[in-house]
Amino acid sequence: MSRVGIIVIAALLVEIISVVQYQRARRMLEQEMAFRSRIVLSSITKDITHVLDLTEATMRENLWYIQHNLMHPDSASASLFRLIDNNPNVVGGCLAFVPDYYPGKGRYFEPYAKKEDGRIILDQIAGPEHDYTANPAFRQVVESGEPLWSDPYRFGPDSVSLATYSYPVFDGQGRLAAVCGLDIDLSWLGDALNANQFFPSSFGLLLTQDGRMVAGPSEQRIAPEAVRHAVDILRSDSPASADKKLVVRRHAMNRPPYWQVAQIHRYKDVFSRIRKMRLQHLAMILLGFAILVFMIERYARNEKKLRLASQEQARIAGELEVARKIQREMLPTRFPSFVYGSLEPAREVGGDLFDFFVRDGKLFFCIGDVSGKGVPSAILMSVAHSLFRMASNHIESPAHILQSLNVELCRGNDSNMFVTFFVGCLDLYSGELRYANAGHDKPYLLSADISLLPTQANLPLGVFADTVFVEQTLTMAPGNSLLLYTDGLTEAKNSGRKSFGRKGVEAVLRARPVSSRPNLDALVSALSEAAHRFAGEAPQSDDLTMLAVCFAPGEDMLRGQITLANDPREVERLSTFIKDFLGQLSMDRKTASGLRLALEETVVNVIDYAYPEGVTGSVSVLADSNRREVRFTVQDHGTPFDPTTVLEADTTLDAQKRPIGGLGILLTRKLMDSISYEHRDGQNVLILTKSIV
Amino acid sequence: MKTTVQEIDGKMVATLVGELDTAATQETERALQPLLHCEGKDIVIDCTNLEYIASSGLRILLSILKQAKIVGSRVVLKNVNEVVYDVLSLTGFVSIFDFEKV
Repeated sequence: MSRVGIIVIAALLVEIISVVQYQRARRMLEQEMAFRSRIVLSSITKDITHVLDLTEATMRENLWYIQHNLMHPDSASASLFRLIDNNPNVVGGCLAFVPDYYPGKGRYFEPYAKKEDGRIILDQIAGPEHDYTANPAFRQVVESGEPLWSDPYRFGPDSVSLATYSYPVFDGQGRLAAVCGLDIDLSWLGDALNANQFFPSSFGLLLTQDGRMVAGPSEQRIAPEAVRHAVDILRSDSPASADKKLVVRRHAMNRPPYWQVAQIHRYKDVFSRIRKMRLQHLAMILLGFAILVFMIERYARNEKKLRLASQEQARIAGELEVARKIQREMLPTRFPSFVYGSLEPAREVGGDLFDFFVRDGKLFFCIGDVSGKGVPSAILMSVAHSLFRMASNHIESPAHILQSLNVELCRGNDSNMFVTFFVGCLDLYSGELRYANAGHDKPYLLSADISLLPTQANLPLGVFADTVFVEQTLTMAPGNSLLLYTDGLTEAKNSGRKSFGRKGVEAVLRARPVSSRPNLDALVSALSEAAHRFAGEAPQSDDLTMLAVCFAPGEDMLRGQITLANDPREVERLSTFIKDFLGQLSMDRKTASGLRLALEETVVNVIDYAYPEGVTGSVSVLADSNRREVRFTVQDHGTPFDPTTVLEADTTLDAQKRPIGGLGILLTRKLMDSISYEHRDGQNVLILTKSIV
Repeated sequence: MKTTVQEIDGKMVATLVGELDTAATQETERALQPLLHCEGKDIVIDCTNLEYIASSGLRILLSILKQAKIVGSRVVLKNVNEVVYDVLSLTGFVSIFDFEKV
C-alpha cells in the first residue's frame, strides 16, 4: 500500500473519532443547555411566583383595613393608597364595588389609584362608559367568590404589561361588597427573561396557560416574526420536535395562574461554537496530515537520497578497494635478499610508489612521491609507475629514465601535479651505483657509518619538460646499503604535531646490526614500527614508503676480464678466455657453446667494424656470473653503433637469396636472453645476459 | 681444426674435425676450396667431429651451397652434432641443407 493510502486511512480514522467526539460534545452541550435553561427558567418562575405571592399577601394582610373602610365610601381611596404603597410591585389598584353598593355613589363605583412618577394618584374611573361589571374577571370573582389572577395584558398609552389580582371583599354582613384589583407591573419580566442570554438570537418568553405571549424580547433585539414563530411552536403539542432549527425549553408555574416561561435558542447558535471548533479541528487534522504527508514524503525522499548516497558511497568504496588492490598488485611483492620495499598508504590509494627489477645483472629501482594524496595522486602515480617500467626496460641511464618520464608527465599536466622521483641502477656484480634524482629526499647510504647519499636535488618530474637531470655514480662496497624513503617516514606526526624526523630515522639506523648481508626486511620493518610507535594514536597523515637496497655480492661470484686489440687474430685469445671462464661454471655443452658463440660473434663484429680501417683500437670483455646467469660486457671506443636496432636477418629465404652477412648479430640475439646497448662516456657498452639454470 | 677433402664413390666428401671458430675460418675456407669446383658431383660434409661452428663457418657452408646449386649438386651435412645443429637451426640453415645421419 502506498504511503499516501496509509495516510488517507489514518486521516479517515482520526476524522471518525472527531465526528464521534463532536456528537458527544453536542449531546453534552444540549444537556448542559437544558440544565442551564431549567435553572434560569425555574429561577424566573420563582421570581414571578414571589411577586404574585407578595401581592396576594399584601391583599390578605390589608383586607381587614379595606373591610373596615367599607363603611365610608370615601375611605376606599385610603384603602387603595395603603395597598399600593405597601407593595413596590403593585402599580395600581381599584375597588370595583358591586353595582349600587353605595346608593349615594350611583350604580357604578370604582375608585382607582395608580403610581405615577413615584406619586400615588387617586381617581374614580367608573361610569356608564366604563362598565366594569362586564369585565369577565369581575364577573368570575363575583360568581365564584374566589380570588383570581388575570392573564397579563397591556394597558395604557405606554402599553405597560400588567396583571391584575382580583380579590372578593366581603362586608361585615358577609355580602360581597367589591372586587379589589391589584395591578402588578410585569414589564420587568421581558427584560428579566431576556437578560444574560447565551446567544444573541436566544430569547425568553412569558406565556399564559393557554399559550398567549405576555412578555418577550424587545423588537430591536429579536424580530417579531421569530418571536411569533416560537410562540406557535410552544402552542403546538410537541414543541421540541416542531422545529429542527430551534431549541425550546419551557417551564410552567406550579400554581395559578400557571403561566409558563420559555427559552428559545437557535440550534445554529448553540452548536455554532462546537461546529466552529469542529471545523477548526478538521482543519487542524487536515493541516496536520498535510504536514505529516509532507514530512513523510520528505523523509522518504531524504531516505532515498541517503540510500542512494550510501549505495554510491559503497560503490565508490568498492571501487577504491579494487583500486587499492590494483595499486598494491602493481608493487613488487617478492623480494630477493638484496632489496626490500614497503608502502603503507594513508588512505585507500596513495601517491607513493617504489619499484625495482633486475635486468642484465643490474638492479633498477625507484621511489616516488606524487604531490597530494588520494585518487588523483594515485592515478598519476600509476602513470609514473608504468612509465618507469617502460623506460627502464630499455634505457640504461637513470638520468635518461627520469628524462623520458619527465617529458611524458609534463605532457598535458594541466593540474600542475608533480612527482618527486629517485632512480637508481646498481650493478649487482660490480657494486657500481648510477643514480639520478628528481626532487626527492636524499637516500641514506649505510656502511659502517650513516650518511646521506650525495645527491643533486634537481626539479621534480612534471614541472618543466626540458629539465636536465644530473646522473651521479658511486661504487658501493660489499655490505653497503641504501635506504630510500618518502617524507611519510620523516614527517610521521604524533598527536603533538611533532615529526619523526631524520633524527628518529637515524636512531633506528644506528641501532641496526651491521652485517655483510644486511637484513633489509628487518630494517624496513623496524623503521615502520618506530614511526608508528612515534605517531601513537595520531592518524597516519601521509603514505609511508621505504625501499632498501644493498650490494651483497655472493662469495661464489665469478668474474673475468680481457682486453683485445682490433685484430682478428685476437679471437683465439678470446676463445681461450671464454672457454676458461665457462669451464668454471656448470652448464651443458650446448649452453656453453652458445655462450661462446654469442660472445665471439659480438667481439668479432667489434674487431671487424668498430674502428675505421687502419685505426688501432681495443675491445674489452668483462664476464660475470653469479652461477645462475652469465653476463658479458663488451666495451669499445669505436664508432657508436647499436646492434640492438639492426633488423634481424631473414632466416626463411632460400640458399640463393641468403645474404652472407648479418648472421653474427642474429645468432647473438638468439643465443642470449637479453642484449642491451648504451653509449656511455664515449664507449659502446653492450651487455649480453643469459640464464644458465 | 683439421679439414680434409676426398672424392669417394663420385662424391666430394669433406671432413671437418674440431672447432670451426672465427680464428679457424680462413684456413678452413682455403681447405674447402675444392668443393667450389665440384662439377656436378654431390657434396658430403662429414660433421661427425665438428664440435663448434661460428657464423664465419656458416658463411663458408653457405657459399659452398650456393655454388653447388648453380651446377645442380646436392650438399649433405653428415652426422651433425647437437650443438652445431642448434646453430644451423637458429639461422634457418636446416631448411636449405640436406642432412644425413649414420
